[in-house]
Amino acid sequence: MDNLSDLWATYRSTVAFAMVNAMFALSTYVVLSAGFLSFSTVVFGAMGGFVGAQMVIHGLPLAIVFIVSGLAGLLVSMVVAAVFLRLNSHWMALASLALVLITRVVVLNATTLTGGVNGLGIPMALPLDWLTGILVLTVLAFYALYHSWFGIASRVLREDPSVAACMGVDLRKVQFIAFGISGIVGGVGGAAMAMLLQYISPDTFFLGIAFTMIAATVLGGSYHWFGPVLGAAVYTALPSLMQFIVPSLQDVANGVFLLLIMVFLPRGLIDPRAMRLRRSAKGRSS
Amino acid sequence: MSAILELDRASKSFGGIAAVSELSFVAGRGRVTGLMGPNGAGKTTVINLISGLLTCDSGSIKLDGAEISRSKPHDIGALGLARTYQNVRLISGLTALEQVVAGSFVKRDTSFIASFLHTPAARRRMRALRDKAMHLLERVGMAHAAGTLAETLSYGEQRRVEIARALGADPVLLLLDEPTAGMNPQESNEIGLLTHRLRDEGLSILMVEHNMKLVVDFCDSVVVVNFGRHIADGKPLDCIKDPKVQEAYFGKQRIDADGLGAIG
Amino acid sequence: MELFASQLLNGLSLGSLYGLFGIGFGLVFATLGILNAAQGCYASWAAIAALVVAERAGLPFPLIMFAGMGAAAVVAVIVDQMGFQPLRARGADMLGALITSIAFWMILDSLAGFATGQQSLSFPPQSYPGQMLLTQPVPLPAMQLIAILALVVVAIGTHLLMTRSAIGSAIRAVGWNPVSAALSGVNSRYVIMLTAALSGAISGLAGTLGGVLTSNVSFTLGQGLMLKGFAAVVVGGYSDVRGTAIAGVVLGILEVFVGQYFSASYRDAFTYSLLLVFLLVKPQGLFGKGSFVRA
Repeated sequence: MDNLSDLWATYRSTVAFAMVNAMFALSTYVVLSAGFLSFSTVVFGAMGGFVGAQMVIHGLPLAIVFIVSGLAGLLVSMVVAAVFLRLNSHWMALASLALVLITRVVVLNATTLTGGVNGLGIPMALPLDWLTGILVLTVLAFYALYHSWFGIASRVLREDPSVAACMGVDLRKVQFIAFGISGIVGGVGGAAMAMLLQYISPDTFFLGIAFTMIAATVLGGSYHWFGPVLGAAVYTALPSLMQFIVPSLQDVANGVFLLLIMVFLPRGLIDPRAMRLRRSAKGRSS
Repeated sequence: MSAILELDRASKSFGGIAAVSELSFVAGRGRVTGLMGPNGAGKTTVINLISGLLTCDSGSIKLDGAEISRSKPHDIGALGLARTYQNVRLISGLTALEQVVAGSFVKRDTSFIASFLHTPAARRRMRALRDKAMHLLERVGMAHAAGTLAETLSYGEQRRVEIARALGADPVLLLLDEPTAGMNPQESNEIGLLTHRLRDEGLSILMVEHNMKLVVDFCDSVVVVNFGRHIADGKPLDCIKDPKVQEAYFGKQRIDADGLGAIG
Repeated sequence: MELFASQLLNGLSLGSLYGLFGIGFGLVFATLGILNAAQGCYASWAAIAALVVAERAGLPFPLIMFAGMGAAAVVAVIVDQMGFQPLRARGADMLGALITSIAFWMILDSLAGFATGQQSLSFPPQSYPGQMLLTQPVPLPAMQLIAILALVVVAIGTHLLMTRSAIGSAIRAVGWNPVSAALSGVNSRYVIMLTAALSGAISGLAGTLGGVLTSNVSFTLGQGLMLKGFAAVVVGGYSDVRGTAIAGVVLGILEVFVGQYFSASYRDAFTYSLLLVFLLVKPQGLFGKGSFVRA
C-alpha cells in the first residue's frame, strides 16, 4: 500500500499535467476539426492563465476563477476569429504563430496584470478533484458536440468546404463557434496551468507549449475528441518514460517518437476512419 | 407552369476568358431539363454559378422566383437547391447512411444548442432523419451498403449515394452534374428512370449529361451551350437535329436522328 | 552622426542575416508548401560545423563558410527525405509537414545543445576577418560588409536562378504540382532534394555569419534567426526573394533603431506587430503577388 501511495506521489504531477495538456489539446482540436491549424490556444491560455492567477491571488472562489477565465478566453477567441477568419487556412497558421510571439511581448509589458518579466506566483495549488471535474465536464461536452449537428457540420466542412457550403452549412458560423469553444476551453486550461505550476511568466505561454499542444493533438488524432486526450496523456508521460530509458537524450527521444508517429500513423492514434476500414475488411473476409 | 430556375444573361469570365457569356434559359417546374454541350462548353461553370460556388460578373439567376446570383452557397442550399458533382465528392470517413444524414442538414429543424444538449425533440428529429435517409438509400438501391464506408464503394455506387445525399435536403431543384459518367447502359437507364420517378413526385431536375440516349429518353427539354453561349433549346430530338448543335459536337458533319441508337 | 551611421550599419548587417535566413525559409515555404519549424536548426548546425572546421582545420574563411553551408544542406536534405518525403508520397498536407518539422526541431536543437555543451561558443579570433575596413567616417567591420554582400549576392543569385534558369522553372513546377512536373520530364525527387539543399545552404550561411558576428554558436542562434527570418518572409512576400531580402534589412534597421531610441523590450513588439499587420492586411507581403493557392 505504501508503494502505491509513493508511486502516486511521484506521478501525481505527471497525471495533473496530462490533464491540463488535454484541455489545451482539446482546445486546439476543435478548431483543427473545423478546418484550421491555429496556435491561438496559447493566447487563450495566456489570457485565462493571467486573469485566473490574479483572481486566485485576490482570494476569489475557485468556481468564479474558472468561469471568468473561460469567459476571458472566449472574449479573446471572438476577436481572433473576427480578425483571422478572413484568411485562408495557410495564413491562419502563420498569423496565429505571429500572435503567439506578440502575446509574449504583451505579457512582458502589461506588468500590472502579468507581473512583467518577473511573472506571477500563485499562492494556491490546483486541487486535483477540481481538475478532474473540469476535464470530465469538458470531455462530456466534446462527446455531445461530436454527436451533434455541429459535429456533423464541422466534419463535412473540414473534408470539403465547398460541398459543406452547398449542403447549407454556414462556414463562418461553424468556424466562429469552433473558435468560441476553443477560447473557453483554452482559458480554463490556462487558469488550471497557472495553479498547477504555481508560477507563470511570459515564457509559460509561448512556443514550447504551442508545439506541445499541436503535437499532442495530431499524435492522438484530430478526427475524434478522444484523440487529443490520449495524445496529451502519451505526450506528457513520454518524457518521464524516456527519462527511464535514455535519461539525457529525452528530447531527442521525444522528437523521434513524434516523427515515427507522423510517418507511420499520420492520422494519429485514434482514427474513426481507420477503425471502420479495419472493420469492413474483417467483415469482407469472414 | 412557371419556371423553377431562370438565368438571364448570366456571364462569368476568368481573367479575360469568358467561361459563360450572356447565358439565358429557364428550367421548367416539375420537369427534367438537360444541359448539354461539348467538353469545355462551360456546363460545370454554369452549375457552379447556380449553386453559388462562383458569382456571376453580370446577369441574374432566379430560383423559384428569388434572386440568387449574389447569394452564398449555404443560403442557396437553404432555399431548396441540392447538387451532385462531376467527380463524386463524398465525405471521407463517413458511411453511406451518414452521408445522406449529413445531406439533410438544411432540413434538420434543430438549433445547434438543442442538438448539443441532445434534447428529446432533437433526438426524435434525428431518428426521423435517419429513417428518411435509409429510405432514400433504398430508392437509389444502396440500402444494403448503409453501414459501409462510402469511399470503399464502387464508382457507380458512390454516385448513387451522392444522389441520395442531395435528396436528403428535400430540394425543390436538384442539380445533377454528369450523374451517369462511368456507368454501364443498364445503370444509366436506372438513373434515368429514377429522375422520372422523382419528377413525378414534384421534384424539378437540371441535369448535365453527355449521354445522348439518356437525354433523349428522359429529358423533357434541353438547353445546349457551347463556348459559354446559348446555342439551342427545346425538345431533345429537335435540338440534336439542329445544325448548330451538330456542328458544335461533330464539326461540319451531319448525322440522322435514326443514327442515335449507336450513340450512348 | 557617427553613432547613427554605425547603428545603421549594425542594422544593415543584422538585417542581412534576417534576410538571408528568410530567403532559405521562404524557398521551402513558397515552392514546397512546407512551414519548416526546423529551419532554424539548419542555421545553428551550420555555425557549429563551421566552428569545428575553424578550430580543427584552420582553413581560410571562405572555406569555413562553405563548410557551414554544406553541413546545413546535408541536414536539410536528410530532414526532407526522412520526414517530408513519406508524407509527400501520401499526399499529406501542410499540417503533417509542420508537425514533422517540429519533431526534427526537437531532435536537432537537443543535439545542438549537446554539441556545444549547452553553452554559447565563439569563433577563434584568427579564423575570420576581424579587421575594421574603415574607421573614418564610420567604423565598418569586415564581417558586417561580408554579411551585407552575402545577402546581395544570394538574393540576386536566387532570384535569377528561380526566374531565369531551367532549374528554377523545374523547382517551381515541382512545387506547384510534382506529378505534372514529372510528366513533363522533371525528376521531381532530385529537384525536391535540390530545393531542400539550397534552402538549407542559404539559411546555413546566415547561421555561419551570424555565429561569427554575434559570437553565439548555439541552438539559440537558430531560434533567433527563425523568428525574425519568418517575419521577413511574411512582410516581404514569400513568393519573391527580393522582397524577403529588403524586408529583412528593413526589419534589422528598424529593430536596431527602435532598440536604441525607444527600449529593448519594444523592439520585438515592433517586429511582431508589423508582422501581424501584414498578415492581416497584405498577406502576400510588400512584393509578393497572388494568393497562396496550390494546384
